[in-house]
Amino acid sequence: MARRKADLAVVGRDQPRLDGADKLTGRSLFTDDVVLPGMLVGKVVRSPHARARILSIDTSAARALPGVKAVITHAEAAKVVIGINQPLFRSDTVNYIGDEVAAVAAVDEATAARAAALVRVEYEPLPPLPTIDAALADGAPILHAKAEGNLAWQSAEDRGDPDAGFGAAATIREDTYTTHASHNCYAEFHAVVADWSRPERLTVWTPTQTALLYQKSIARSLGLTDGAVRLMTLNTGGGFTGRTSARPHHFVAALLSRQAGRPVKIRASADEEFIVCRAGGEVRYRYRTGVDADGRILAFEADLLFDTGAYVETQMIVTTLTAAYIHTLYKVDATRYRGRLVHTNNIPYYFHHGGGIAQMAFGLGLHMDALARQLGMDPVDFHLKNMVTEGHTSLTGTYFASCGLGECIRRATKQAGWKRKYGRQKPLRGIGLGIGAMASGAKGVFRHDTSAAFIKVMDDGTMTLFVGLPDMGQSSHTAMAIIAAEVLGAEVADITVVSGDTDITPLDVGAFTQRGTFNTGNAVKAAALDARRQLEVTAAAQLDCRRSQLVFRGREVCSQAAPDRRVPLKKIIYDTLHSREGRFVMGRGFYNSPKESGTMAYSFGAQVAEVSIDPDSGVITVERVVVAHDVGRAINPRIVEGQMDGQVFSGMSQVLYEETLLEDGQVLNPSRLDYKMPRSYEMPRVEHIIVESIDPFGPFGAKEVGEGPIVCTVPAIANAVANALGVPVTEMPIAPWKVLRLLGRRGGKGG
Amino acid sequence: MTHRQFITLTVNGDRREVVVTPEMLLLDVLRDGFGLTGTKRGCTSGACGVCTVQGDDGRAVLSCLSLAIQWDGRSVTTIEGVAGPEGLHPVQQAFLEFGAVQCGYCTPGLVMTVKALLDRTPAADAAAIDEALAGAICRCTGHIKVKEAARQAVLRLQAAAQEQAHGPAQG
Repeated sequence: MARRKADLAVVGRDQPRLDGADKLTGRSLFTDDVVLPGMLVGKVVRSPHARARILSIDTSAARALPGVKAVITHAEAAKVVIGINQPLFRSDTVNYIGDEVAAVAAVDEATAARAAALVRVEYEPLPPLPTIDAALADGAPILHAKAEGNLAWQSAEDRGDPDAGFGAAATIREDTYTTHASHNCYAEFHAVVADWSRPERLTVWTPTQTALLYQKSIARSLGLTDGAVRLMTLNTGGGFTGRTSARPHHFVAALLSRQAGRPVKIRASADEEFIVCRAGGEVRYRYRTGVDADGRILAFEADLLFDTGAYVETQMIVTTLTAAYIHTLYKVDATRYRGRLVHTNNIPYYFHHGGGIAQMAFGLGLHMDALARQLGMDPVDFHLKNMVTEGHTSLTGTYFASCGLGECIRRATKQAGWKRKYGRQKPLRGIGLGIGAMASGAKGVFRHDTSAAFIKVMDDGTMTLFVGLPDMGQSSHTAMAIIAAEVLGAEVADITVVSGDTDITPLDVGAFTQRGTFNTGNAVKAAALDARRQLEVTAAAQLDCRRSQLVFRGREVCSQAAPDRRVPLKKIIYDTLHSREGRFVMGRGFYNSPKESGTMAYSFGAQVAEVSIDPDSGVITVERVVVAHDVGRAINPRIVEGQMDGQVFSGMSQVLYEETLLEDGQVLNPSRLDYKMPRSYEMPRVEHIIVESIDPFGPFGAKEVGEGPIVCTVPAIANAVANALGVPVTEMPIAPWKVLRLLGRRGGKGG
Repeated sequence: MTHRQFITLTVNGDRREVVVTPEMLLLDVLRDGFGLTGTKRGCTSGACGVCTVQGDDGRAVLSCLSLAIQWDGRSVTTIEGVAGPEGLHPVQQAFLEFGAVQCGYCTPGLVMTVKALLDRTPAADAAAIDEALAGAICRCTGHIKVKEAARQAVLRLQAAAQEQAHGPAQG
C-alpha cells in the first residue's frame, strides 16, 4: 500500500500554491470585496453593560432616519434561536458587553452608524459576574435559569481505575495552571454578506472553515431547508479553529436582508472584532500524575474549569477534546477527567488557535517536565518511557497505526544539542522540550466526519476537481490537486480546484479537527481512482495489457510490462470521451472513517525551544525552535514547513504575549495596537524536521500538520522559560511583568 | 454640511478625478472609488499593514491612515499595479516560490512593504527587512517565509542589476 518516495511523481515535491499568483496580485476576493447591486450596510446595536435589565427599546428614531431600510430587535426575531436555546436578540437581560440588542441596515456605512446610535435602549445595570470566582461564589446571581450554580456544562469520566493507580504510585505530583482570554486576530475581520431578497433563497458569503456546518445552522435557526441556504466561501483570511460555527452576525445580516429585500453586508469594526471573535476565556487546570518507581505513569487526573462567558454555543466540545488528549500522548493505565464550563458576564468562549489543546498543553507540558525533574529524570527520557508508540491501543480505544513520536523527540533534541545544553546553561538562558499529538479528523466530536469529491476530466487533458473543503491558507486545495494528479498521472497545472459554493461543491464537513488532508484527501484519492478506472478501459485496449498493469505517470500511460511504450494521457482521455460509447469521465469519491467514533490517525511532534531573558525588562527572547513533526507523509514539503512556522509564531505568541485584558467584562485592549503579538523581528530561527511515518490509512500515508505543531510549541517555550528562570511558571501568557515578579524584581501588575 | 471636492489621483498609471469628502481615506478611494480591492481593509488603525500601498516617493504608505485629499495631484501604486506584462514582479515571484503566501489577506500589504523597501534600498539586509515588516501582523506565516522570500528577492534583483550593468555572466 505504502509507496516509496521514488514511485511518486507529484506527491512529496514542492509545489507553489495554485492560488498564489491571484493572492499576490490582488485578484483574490474576500467577503469584504463583495459588492452587490443595492447592497446595504448592517450594524449591530450592542449592550454597553456586562449585565443589565432591558427596560425599553425604542427604534422609532432609527426607523425614521432617511436611508434606513431595516431595523430588527427581539420583537421581529423572537423565533430565531441560535446556539443552545439562545435568542438572537436580547429582550430581557443583557449578559456581556457586546450582547446583541438590535440591528439596522442602511444605504451606507455612515447612515447605518447614525441609525444604530439612534436606537434608544434603557437599561437597569446589574452587578456583573466578571470572573469564575464571582460566578461560583455562594449567593451569586444565576445568569441562566437552566445553568444551576452558573455551571453551563459539566463532564466527568474515569477510565481504568484511577484510585488504584494513585494508590500504587511511588510518586504523585499535582500542579495548577491558568491560561487567560485571548483572541485569534485573523488578518481578515469577521464579515458577512447575506442576500435574502427572495424569501425562498438565502445566499451567504462569509469566511469559514466549514461551509456545511454554517449552512446547516443558518438554515435551522431561520426555518429554512439546508438546500435553501447557499453558502459562498471566497477566500478565508485565517481560521485557527475560530471560524467553525456561525456567529450572531450571520443570522443578523440574513434577517436584515429579508426585511429590506436587499443584500446586506456586515463587517466587524476593530473593537467589535474582539467581541464577535469570541476567542477563549480564562481556563484553570489542575493536573495530578502518579508514577511508579521507574517513572512510568500509572494514573493521571485533569480538572479543567473554563470561563465560558455569557452563552454556550458549541464550547462543550472542548471538554471532549481535552479529556482525550492525554491518551494520545502517553500510555496511561487510568485517568480521571472533569471539565466544567462556568457562565460569567464575559464574551462567550470560543476556540483560539490550538482548539483548547494548545492551551491545555501549556500546563500539561510544564507539569510533566516538573515531574520528570522531581524524579531525577531528564524530560527526554521521561517522555520516551511513557509515550504512545505504533501499534498501541489507548484506554479510549484509539489504535495508533503509525507513530513517529519517538523519532521526533530523538531528532529534535539531537539537532538542538539537548544533551550539551540541558542543565548546563548560563543563568537566564533556558532550553525546553514540548511534545504533542493531534487528531486527523475527529468523528464523534461532531456527528459525522464525511468528505466527498468529484473530478471532471476534459478531452484536452485538463481536469476540474470539486471539493467542499475550504482553504484558509493552509494550501489544502493545492494538496488536493497534488493527490488527484498523482493518481491520474497528471501534473498539478492540469487541475483546477473548484470550491466554496454549496450549490456546486460536494458535501464536506470542512477544515477543522485537522481532517482536510486525511479525510478530504482520501475522498479526492477515491474520486481520482474512480476517474482513472474509467480511463483504464481505453488504455488497456490501446496498450494491449491488463488494467492492473497500467501505470499513469507524467501525463503518460504505459504498461508495467512494456514501460517504453507510452501513450499520452490526453490521448487516452480524448479517445475515451470520443469513443462510440462517448464515455464522459467523471470520478466520484467519498470518505467516512470506518470507525464508529474517534480518529484514524494522529500526527506527533516534538520541539525544542531556546530562550534568553532580559532581567531588567523581563522580556523573553525566543532564539531558536527546532520543530520535528510526524506528518505521515509530506504532500507538499515547503507548505508543511510554512504550517510549522505559523504555529511556532502562534504558539510563541500565546505563551508570551497574547491576552484579551478584561475588567468587569470590558475588553481593555480591543485593537491590533494594544493586543500584543510578535513582530517579524521577534521571531526565532525555526528549523524543520519532517518525519514521515507513512500512515496506512492516510492518502499516500499523510496525516496532518495544521494544528499538531502548535501543541508542541506552547510547552516547549513554556519549559524553556521555566528552565531559564529556575522557578515554576504557572500562568500564560508569561508577560514581562510576570517574569519580573518571578525574578523577585517587582511586585504587582505593571502599567 | 459635508465639503466635497474633486481630487486628481493617479493609481497604477491611470489618472482619474474622484469626489472625496475630507474624512475619506485613501483606502476608501482605492477600494470603493477605483474598485481596486487588492488593497485590504484591516484594523484601520495602522497596526496590521494589510492596507499598505506605495506612494510616488517610493515609500510604503498605510492607506488607512492617509486622507484621500492629501493625494490630490499625486500617484499611488497598489498591488494590482506591481506585476508587469511579462509576469510577476521578482518580489511576488519569490513570495510564490518560497511559500510566503498563506491565507492571502495580508499578502498584498506584505508585497507592497517589501517592494517599497527594495525600490529604495536594493541591498536591504536582514535587519532592514525586519524593520520594514515590523508594521505587519501575519499569524499564518509567522513572517518566517516572508523574510526568506524578501531575502531571495534582494539576491535576484541584485543579480538582475549586475547582469544589466555587465551583461550575462559567462559560464
